[in-house]
Amino acid sequence: MLSTERMDMEDKDTTGDNDSVWAQLVGAEHPGSQLIVLAKSHDLHVTDIAFARLLDKTNPVRRLKNEFLYPSMKAMGVEDGRLDKNCIYLCGNSLGLQPKQTQTLVMEELNKWASKAVHGHTEPKTRPWVTIQTTVKEEMARMVGAEPLEVSVMNTLSVNLHVGMVAFYRPTPTRYKVLVESKVFPSDLYAIQSQLQMHGFDRDDGIIAVELREKEHTLRTEDIISAISTHGDSIALVLFSGIQYYTGQFFNLRAITAAAHSKGCKVGFDLAHAVGNVPLKLHDWGIDFACWCSYKYVNAGPGGIGGFFVHEKHATDFSISRMEGWWGHELKTRFEMANERQLLPGADGFQCSNPPVLQTVSLLASLNIFKKTSMDELRATSV
Amino acid sequence: RVTEPVARSGDGSASGTAINTTLRLTSDARLQGQTVLKRPDACKIWGLSGNCDLHTPKRYDHTSGTEEMAMEDKTKTGDANELWPHLTSVDHPGPQLEALAKTRDLHVLDVAFARLLDEANPVRRLRDEFLYPTMKDVGVEGGSSDRKCIYLCGSSLGLQPKQTRTLVMEELDKWAAKGVLGHSGPKSRPWVTIQTTVKDEMARMVGGEPIEVSVMNTLSVNLHVGMVAFYRPTQERYKVLIESKSFPSDYYAVQSQLQMHGFDPDEGIITVEPRENEHTLRTEDIVSVINTHGHSIALVLFSGVQYYTGQLFDLHAITAAAHSQGCKVGFDLAHAVGNVPLKLHDWGVDFACWCSYKYVNAGPGSIGGLFVHERHATDFSIPRMEGWWGHELKTRFEMANTRQLLPGADGFQCSTPPVLLTVSLLASLNIFSKTSMDELRATSVVLTGYLELLLQLIYSKKDHGDITDINQPYVDIITPSDINQRGAQLSLVFSVPLRDVHTELSKQGVVVDMREPNVLRVAPVPLYNSFEDVHTFVTLLGKAFEKSTETAESVR
Repeated sequence: MLSTERMDMEDKDTTGDNDSVWAQLVGAEHPGSQLIVLAKSHDLHVTDIAFARLLDKTNPVRRLKNEFLYPSMKAMGVEDGRLDKNCIYLCGNSLGLQPKQTQTLVMEELNKWASKAVHGHTEPKTRPWVTIQTTVKEEMARMVGAEPLEVSVMNTLSVNLHVGMVAFYRPTPTRYKVLVESKVFPSDLYAIQSQLQMHGFDRDDGIIAVELREKEHTLRTEDIISAISTHGDSIALVLFSGIQYYTGQFFNLRAITAAAHSKGCKVGFDLAHAVGNVPLKLHDWGIDFACWCSYKYVNAGPGGIGGFFVHEKHATDFSISRMEGWWGHELKTRFEMANERQLLPGADGFQCSNPPVLQTVSLLASLNIFKKTSMDELRATSV
Repeated sequence: RVTEPVARSGDGSASGTAINTTLRLTSDARLQGQTVLKRPDACKIWGLSGNCDLHTPKRYDHTSGTEEMAMEDKTKTGDANELWPHLTSVDHPGPQLEALAKTRDLHVLDVAFARLLDEANPVRRLRDEFLYPTMKDVGVEGGSSDRKCIYLCGSSLGLQPKQTRTLVMEELDKWAAKGVLGHSGPKSRPWVTIQTTVKDEMARMVGGEPIEVSVMNTLSVNLHVGMVAFYRPTQERYKVLIESKSFPSDYYAVQSQLQMHGFDPDEGIITVEPRENEHTLRTEDIVSVINTHGHSIALVLFSGVQYYTGQLFDLHAITAAAHSQGCKVGFDLAHAVGNVPLKLHDWGVDFACWCSYKYVNAGPGSIGGLFVHERHATDFSIPRMEGWWGHELKTRFEMANTRQLLPGADGFQCSTPPVLLTVSLLASLNIFSKTSMDELRATSVVLTGYLELLLQLIYSKKDHGDITDINQPYVDIITPSDINQRGAQLSLVFSVPLRDVHTELSKQGVVVDMREPNVLRVAPVPLYNSFEDVHTFVTLLGKAFEKSTETAESVR
């Protein structure tokens, strides 16, 4: 029961106007006052629905709305809901909507499996499974501001969080703590606690949470940096989310990374709510590792495949601990069965297993939409 | 070589006196089954004298033999069901197959016999559940291109259940229509509890209680999950025992675990090697190594079925030996799940892991499985890489950050399950729930025994005394002949270059798996392969030999 509402926007005559409207909104420090001024200049009030429609007409990203499938009012259980009207879906930070192309690509792979079976691994004409990660890696890397070498699409977020901690949470008796945000997402907290335990440290003693000031809901960057400065000598790893799941706060990843490194700590980020949402520059910011899921802003479906970033500066450091598997090894010798270690450089060297094909093409369908825009363009609209 | 084709006459001539050990296909051989292979004298091959009908071949260890079969000489081919119990209740199907053919006035090499077996096979009812690549799909042009190819590669990637796309599309439709509400929508497979749709059947297939099984991640990730939990070395007890020629992924995984604990992998890994001139491991040797080194071994980690040789290990004996030495035991069941009956709970295995894209037919890269024995279920001191999905559902979304692990295998989960992969597995398990591992195993034993018999009759290395056969390609089966030491797969080594044979077979529409350095893996799968598939394979193998011999000769 999908909405049949047309998302086409008519009206080409006012393109020039639209551009100038948009230019006024984008680039301001905060859109709020610009919106009010803009409404006035069109003899509207900012609370008028006509103003909303004006903004929709000017929004360049509207061209991508047709790429998605929208739950209808009726499907969502609205009693007298019209089948052809979209529900008001503002829950993409929990589960993103489905790209129209997803079903097509998934069926292509199912058809390939049915007709080619094992030959699908190497059939050169369409997405041979052995190298299927190459179809998604570059765009994924672009979205997080990384080199392809630094990114691998694999596993799930929490598993990749452990991959990152195995690599970069390497405590000593004096430097063993993990710095996290206040009200850290449960999965991350349990993951960190279990890593502490595995290294023989106390689950609670080993965690420092940066706390909120009284009556405040979000963290001040200066307080995060201050906590790092104060405790830095005892901190092995600073592990924050990119965007806090509860408050929605977008942390200053660059400042946090710089502060952590200045005290000799490693830095990792859980980017579940950040990827596909805000522009990221993981490479430039010098982050050691990051992990994310693809079912929120990246629209790859429930339980969609995870992502992993490891900075280029670590790419050929094969002494970094990792849970190895054959898929992290060089392709040309991977099937020789000689059992000789030949790790791939970069993030791919942290892979374990051959990729889940349906999950990979679900991600591909979504990335094909992101390719038609950029994080900067999406961000401008988002703001 | 003798080149006259032999026509198949209606009344048959199964007297056992047609002695002709050379081999040639009829010049106009067709896949449909008019092909007849010449019938070498089985007795001569096995070095027996006399009428081989009444002798138990030396190769097999049992004594029941064909004398005890009370079979009437039926002239009709009906009552196929009567045949089946005779085939499936013996130590080895080989002699039974030969005797059975005789009672039907057939030779075991006849395609009509293959068809008889297909009729008798109760598991044939499930063949329609699958989608089959055609000859054309695998690149064979020509008149028969719409027919099924000969797919004997289920040990590498299983075929697709018809229902897979239906269930996958249902989930995609649900996502499109419901968005985030699909997690909790009560009507069909709410995603939050989607694992419950697959857990029970998965547990049944491995002989585990539901609490002992969790469907999650991938095999190699779960192998690490298992080792984090059960590879807990001390200074004295830190070694890992694995089989010779273990699968690379397992080997790297073990090495990396050793390294993470600060041990040297070259020193910390003990492999059990085959005896000289043997390909497979003797259980007594495995047990002996465990007893010798057991005090220094933290973990015994074996595959269930060895990927290269096809050997099915004695998991029960290995587990018992390991535990008697104070070692923990884990198994990589990639080639065992869905292939052979397992009793992980009864055998007391500590942990096991598997993938679902081989005999479990859940698709390329599909979801993995983990088993953790019930006795560990509430031991929350066991190290694990935690994530929220391993925690109690009722408090999981409260975000109170209070640790409340689920008992059993589920407590080792990290993340929300991948929905499309879960229902791909469900489609496959829906087929397994229409049968049992015991029923599949019964067919598998006969099917693989039939393959073995044909290969031995036609392609065994001939005695040197028979000079006409010196240039005849031969096949060496390195998988054990003992049915208790193998699953569906036979690993074949050829006297001619492997790659050439594989290439020629592929051109004929046969899909089998080549493993470096020397092995062709042929795995007739009971759910979707027929005896006729096997017969056709053996026929086409002959053609492939011819072609590769011609090529070799022309090169010379």
